[in-house]
Parts: sequence; structure tokens; C-alpha cells
Amino acid sequence: MSHLLKLLTGPEDIGRSRWFWAAFVAVCVFLFVYPFWLSEFEATNNAYYLLNVPIALGLALLWGYCGILSFGQVAYFGVAGYVYGIVSGNMIGNAAGPIVGSLCGLAVCALTAAIFGYFVFYGRVQNWIVPILTLVLTLLLETFLGQTAGYQWRVGTVQLGGYNGMTGIPAFQVGQLVVTGYSFYYYVLIIVVVGYLSLRVLVNSQYGKVMLAIREDPIRTELLGYDIRARQLVVFVIAAVFAGISGLLYVQWGNYITPSQVGLLQASLPVIWVAVGGRESLLAVLLSTCALNWLNYTLSSEGYQYALIIIGVLLVTVMLFFPDGIIVTLARELPKRGWRALVGLHKGKAG
Amino acid sequence: MDSFATIVSILYQFATNGAFLLLSALGLIVILGMMNIINLAHGELMMMGAYTASIAWHRGVPFWLCAILAFLVVALFGALLERTIVRRFYGRELGALVVTWGISLILSQGALTVFGPFLPAIPIPGGSIALGQYSFSVYWLTVIALACVLIAGLWALYNYTTFGLQARAAMQNPAMARALGVDTGRVYMLTFSLGAGLAGFSGALFAPTVSIAPFMGQQFVAPAFITVVVGGATNVIIGALGSSLLLSLIKTPIGFVFGAFVGTVALLLAALVIIRLMPDGVSAVLQRLIDRRNRFA
Amino acid sequence: MTDPILRTVGLTKNFDGVVATNDVSISVPGGELRCIIGPNGAGKSTLFSLLCGIHRADAGRVLLKGEDVTRLLAFQRVRRGIGLTFQTNRAFHRLSVRQNLDAVLQIMRADRPADADQRYRFALDRFGLDPDSEMLAKELPHHRLQWLEMAMVLAAGPDIILLDEPTAGMSTEETLQTGAVLKHLNSSGLTIVVVEHDVAFVRDVAQRITVMHQGRIFAEGTVKEITEHADVRRIYLGQA
Repeated sequence: MSHLLKLLTGPEDIGRSRWFWAAFVAVCVFLFVYPFWLSEFEATNNAYYLLNVPIALGLALLWGYCGILSFGQVAYFGVAGYVYGIVSGNMIGNAAGPIVGSLCGLAVCALTAAIFGYFVFYGRVQNWIVPILTLVLTLLLETFLGQTAGYQWRVGTVQLGGYNGMTGIPAFQVGQLVVTGYSFYYYVLIIVVVGYLSLRVLVNSQYGKVMLAIREDPIRTELLGYDIRARQLVVFVIAAVFAGISGLLYVQWGNYITPSQVGLLQASLPVIWVAVGGRESLLAVLLSTCALNWLNYTLSSEGYQYALIIIGVLLVTVMLFFPDGIIVTLARELPKRGWRALVGLHKGKAG
Repeated sequence: MDSFATIVSILYQFATNGAFLLLSALGLIVILGMMNIINLAHGELMMMGAYTASIAWHRGVPFWLCAILAFLVVALFGALLERTIVRRFYGRELGALVVTWGISLILSQGALTVFGPFLPAIPIPGGSIALGQYSFSVYWLTVIALACVLIAGLWALYNYTTFGLQARAAMQNPAMARALGVDTGRVYMLTFSLGAGLAGFSGALFAPTVSIAPFMGQQFVAPAFITVVVGGATNVIIGALGSSLLLSLIKTPIGFVFGAFVGTVALLLAALVIIRLMPDGVSAVLQRLIDRRNRFA
Repeated sequence: MTDPILRTVGLTKNFDGVVATNDVSISVPGGELRCIIGPNGAGKSTLFSLLCGIHRADAGRVLLKGEDVTRLLAFQRVRRGIGLTFQTNRAFHRLSVRQNLDAVLQIMRADRPADADQRYRFALDRFGLDPDSEMLAKELPHHRLQWLEMAMVLAAGPDIILLDEPTAGMSTEETLQTGAVLKHLNSSGLTIVVVEHDVAFVRDVAQRITVMHQGRIFAEGTVKEITEHADVRRIYLGQA
């Protein structure tokens, strides 16, 4: 138990002091209690800001801690969502449907990632190839799903729906409890907190420390006796599964999914959330994802086009002036230099 | 007589696919080979070229001039991008990827906001030539010829001009090149500009064949990236040529039987297999063959 | 007669037409401290990369403790007991000393020699490395950075280590100290092969010297034999 505690509070993420953990617990308690003051609609909205956290955390793990940039995490988001829709849609009336559907969704994510990862990591390709091929994969998935309109495109009783997407996806269900509204909020909150803490344990573990070494210098790490290909593959699959978790939460929230969820614009979002927060810290990414999702939602009420331009500008600005991410840079510099930390920050290390 | 026409038709298919891949990827490869940067705004630069062509054409400018104009406008824009943003990311490949993606978001969304969802189309210039039961588009034949001319022109540029020499020096060893008096900053800017201009030119060439919309660049992104990945960065010209030919060899029969989309999927699968066998791309393999031949010459 | 711990047979490697190593056959008995010297471009670093599996040889075989490892990948060879430090320091510069040393803790081999742990701790102690230090590796003075990489390689408990110019850039003091540590490690049974240019260092630590020149083994012998070898002088100083 004390070993687990040590892993939890390890140095590979922001925040180690008692004050930090006290604040963390306080925020968690607040988040649990907060819905009593909210309507069901507002609670579900807040859940929406949270459900994108897993995919961002997975990308942070992959990119920030292991040095592998994937532009196509949303492909696994979509795969999980569609597979869940197909499986649980065919099992309507069966209370185990959603659970089976969720497991299938995550399993297919893991399998797809494993196959793709095998070709990429065991081929020892150059670093820039991974972002390109993952992007291509998700674009092709979008094109494929987009042309599945028509009755012949169905699995069992569930239609894929082409560009209009799949509708009528069942909510998650545990026994007789259908998870919507308030219960959905708690469901997402628990998953996010547990997910974050598990990844925190992972990065502080021995396995996590070797990930850092692989990020820094793969050849040196291999020459210490590690099979880096296998480890990169494992981290890639973990990131895909976390992306899939977000996908599941999304369809269980909105009961629909369209091919645009795996398209170019959507694919850019996790990269933006992670870059803005700071890819080398899980906590920074958790915070930035919630904040940016809230921002996106608020801005799109004004007009979707402008929201994306603003986000594009934000990305470019952050890459120029806060290459390590806003939250990570502040967390590193404020303790050292106070407000003067905000000057001369573009000398960080993106890449 | 009929089988001759069939053979010509097959060659035509093969050449059109190859030209499509080559032109889609050319701007990207030029930049990659020089600066190890993948420009994710590539699709949007092509879109910009198409937009320039459409606007110019609908003001009465002859099409061939529209294409040249597209090259110039986008090349200028590329120089601007390089000066202000891209040059801060040399040596930081992944950072460059992310920032060019941000730029692509701004450009595509910006185009939507400023110009609306569509620009008026350009009809395909030229008619068609009939041979047996097949008809071949004069326009595509011209595009194929243009692709050959472009690649030959780039070859000449890199191997027979001072700029080309300086560019190759900067590619191989920037510090040494600088020590010898090469202004690498200028070389990088001109190269990025050239790559952007080529993207704009390709976009203008493809404009009559697609609908001209803010996200039109997307359809070229997947094929372009696959071509670049298979080509590799060792030798820009050879990689581009070898890769488009190889991939066209794969796409043409599969696309013919199963349709264009399956053809593109086959390209991705082929790319995965090819990089497993040749991690540094076709250009690395071809470069080694050339070196070996030179040694024993 | 036990197998030499490391043996190569006819190792040859081309890089795009340049012959880096040409039919190199060496044999290192267990427990020896061997120095490899030779003018720049002689193929010493290439030989190391071939031994470890960073590059695949075009011809020839590598035998580690009697086993043919030529077809094995780098990490598989390391797991069989060989370690390497690079000519340009490759400790993890952006990570702290603690993170550098933490990264190696997972590769304690099942069949590590019994005194592997002892050697590692000895190196940490004599090299003045603090496994809890949060100082970034790149902030270490150069010699300590070199020592850090050496300690990391020792953590895996290798039976033989290859050091590529470990004392380059070190002062005389630091070179002497490195030599002392290496000799002590060697006396505990660790086989060490060092590529070096520093003549005093070589004289101090070597039990046997191999001279390479233009990709081939040029000469081999004891310190006395090599330092008095007229041809060795010639290749270093040019035709007299």
C-alpha cells in the first residue's frame, strides 16, 4: 500500500506536496458534491467537458512521456464508439448489452492499435512517420465511414449511416440502472479520476521511467538491454484504449456518432489540448482539456467557424511562445522566478 | 488494334494516377528533403492555389496564366510563413508538425469565413482524344506532361544551378555550408517558398477536376503523405518519382477493380508494408543503387 | 581452455563504398583489460557498433561467451552480457541524475554475475554519483557525465564492457581516476575493452593492446611490444 502511495505521489507529474494532495482531494469532493446545485442538463454538460480527458491523457502519455506523436488518436475514439453502437445496438433489451459493447469497443481499439503499431515500431521507422501515418489512418477511416450510407451498410440490425452517422446508440447500463443525467456525470467523473490516477502510477513506476529513457534516446535505451519496440507498442496500445474510453463516453452521452468525429478537425483537438497544457504533465493536460472544451463549447454557441480559427491561433501562439505548454511552463518557472517567468518563455523545447 | 488501345488506356490510367500522386506530394517533398519538416498546411496551400486560379479565371485570365499566378501567390505566402513562423522550428520536427497544423486550421477555417462554402468551379479545359473505344482527356495528358516537365525542371534546378548546389550543401551539412559562405537562411526560405508554390500550382491544376471549397485540400493530404512516407527524405527528386511510380503501380489495378477509395486504402496498407521493408523509403534504396553504380563506373 | 569472452571472425563492414572494418578477427579472453588504439578513421568505433549490434556486419561473425550472436538484435546481445558507452556521451542529458539511474534498474539480468551490484555501487561511490540527485545530467561537469554513462552501463551487470574514448575531454587527474576505477573493476573479473588516444592512460591500464589501421588489425601485443613497435610509430606519425 505504501508502495502504491509512493507511486502515486512520485515526481513524474506536477504536484507532490501535502498541499497539492489536499487541494486535489478537496477539488474531487467539490466535484462530487457540486451537482446538487445543478440541473440534470447542466450536470450532463459538465460531463461533456470531462469525457474528452481520457483521450488527451492517452496522447500525453504517448507523446509527452514516450516521445511518440500520434495525430490519429481520434481514430480509436471513433472505432470504440462505432463498435459499441453496433454491439449494444444489436443487444437491445439485453441488460448486459452496453457492458459487452464497451468491452468489444475497447478490444477492437487495442487490436487495431497493436497491428498498426507492429508495422510502425518493429519497422523502426523514422520519428516523423508516425504522426503522418496515424493521420492518414484516421482520414481513411473518416472517408470509409462517410460512404456507408444506405441500407446495405449494416451490421446485424444496426445501420452505419454514412455521413449522417449512427443514431439511437444505447446509454450505458449497469444491471437495471441506466446511466444518464446525474448518474452519467458521476460515471464520467469516476472514470476520469481513476484513469488519471492509474496513469500517474504508471509513469512513476519502473515502466514509466524506461518510457522517459526511450523518449530521450531510443538507441541508448536499447543498448541498456530494453526491447524498445515492444515497449513503444504497449504504450501506443494503452493510448489507443484511453482514446477508445473517450469514444465510449461520447456515444453513451449523446447516443449518436458521425464520421466527422474521426475527421481532420476533430483529430487536431487532442493535439491542441495536450500542446496547450503541456505534454510532459498528465495533470496539466487534464486541466487544459477541461478548460479548452469549456472554451470550445462556449465559443461555438457564438459560431463554430470562429471557434476553430481561435483555436488554430491559440495553437500557433502556444507553439511559438510556450512550447512546453502553458501550465507546465508556469509550474516550472513560477516557483523559481515569480512573475518574471512570463518573459522569455519561447526558449523552451518543443519537438 | 483494340488491344493496342487497351494497352494505351492502361498506361494512361497508370500515368494519371502517378501524376496525381506526384503533383500532390511534390511541394511537401521539396520541403521535407531540405529541412526535415512536414508541412501540414500543405493541403491548405493547394487550396489557396485553387482559389487563386478560380478567382483569376472568373476574371477572364487564361487558365495557363492562372496556374502560374497560383504558383507565385502561394510561393509568396510560403515565404511569409517561413519568415514569421516556420523558421523557429528548425531542428524541432514534431513542433513544426504541430504548428503547421495550427496554420492549416486557420487557413481552412479562414477561407470558409471569408469566401463562404464554395467558389465557382472551373470547367476542364481542352476536349478529349478518342482511341478505339476509349477517350482520353487532353487536359490530363497535359497534366501528365507537366508533371514530367516539373520533375525534370527540379532535377535541373538541383543539379545544374548555383542555388541547387547551395541547397544540396545545406541539406547535407548546414553548419559546413554556412562555413563555406552559403546563406542557409535564404536557402531555407527559398525552398519553403518553392515547396509552397508547387503546392499552389498543383492545387490550381487540380482545380478543374474537383469542387473548390475550403476543405478541398483534405482529399490530397492522404495520398500526398503516403507518397512522401514511401519516398523518404534521402533524395527528394528520386524519392518523389520512385514513390509515385511504385504507388501508382499498386493503386491503378486495385482502384480499377475496386474503386478509388479502396485504391487509397491499398496505398496505406502498401505504405505500411513498404516502410517495414525499407524504413528510409524508396529514395534511400535508389540512392544506394546509384552510389554503387557510380563507384564501379 | 575456456572460450574467450569475445571473439570475432572476419568482421567486415562497408558504408556506401567506404570499407570501415576489413576482415577483423580479434579475441579477448575473459578478465582482460584490452585497449584498442589507432589513428582516426581506423574503424575502432565501427567495430564497437558491430560488436553490440547497432550495425549489421556485411560479413563475419561475433561470438560472445562462445555463442554466435551475429544475428541477434542489440538489446538481445546486451542481455547476454555486453555493454557499451558511446564516443559522444549518450547519457540522458535532459533527465536528472536520478532519472538516468532509475532507468537502468529494471534491467538487472537474471544471470548477472554475483558481484554486479557491488561493481555498480562501487562505481557510483568512486565516481561521486548521487542516485537521488535531481540535477539535470547536462549540468554535470563533463567528466562526471562520462562517469554517469559508465555507471549506467554497469547497472545491467555485464560481463564485458566496451568504452569508446571515455577519457576524451578529461583532465589528467580525472583520467587517472577513471583508470583507477577501471583497473579495480577489472580485477574483480569484469572484462574491459577501451578505445583510447591518451597514451599515458593506455600505458597505465592496458594488459594488452590491439592496433587498428585503415579498418584492419595492424598489430597486437603487450604495452611494451606495441610502444616499441616501429610500424606502429610510423602509422601514427606518418612515413618517417
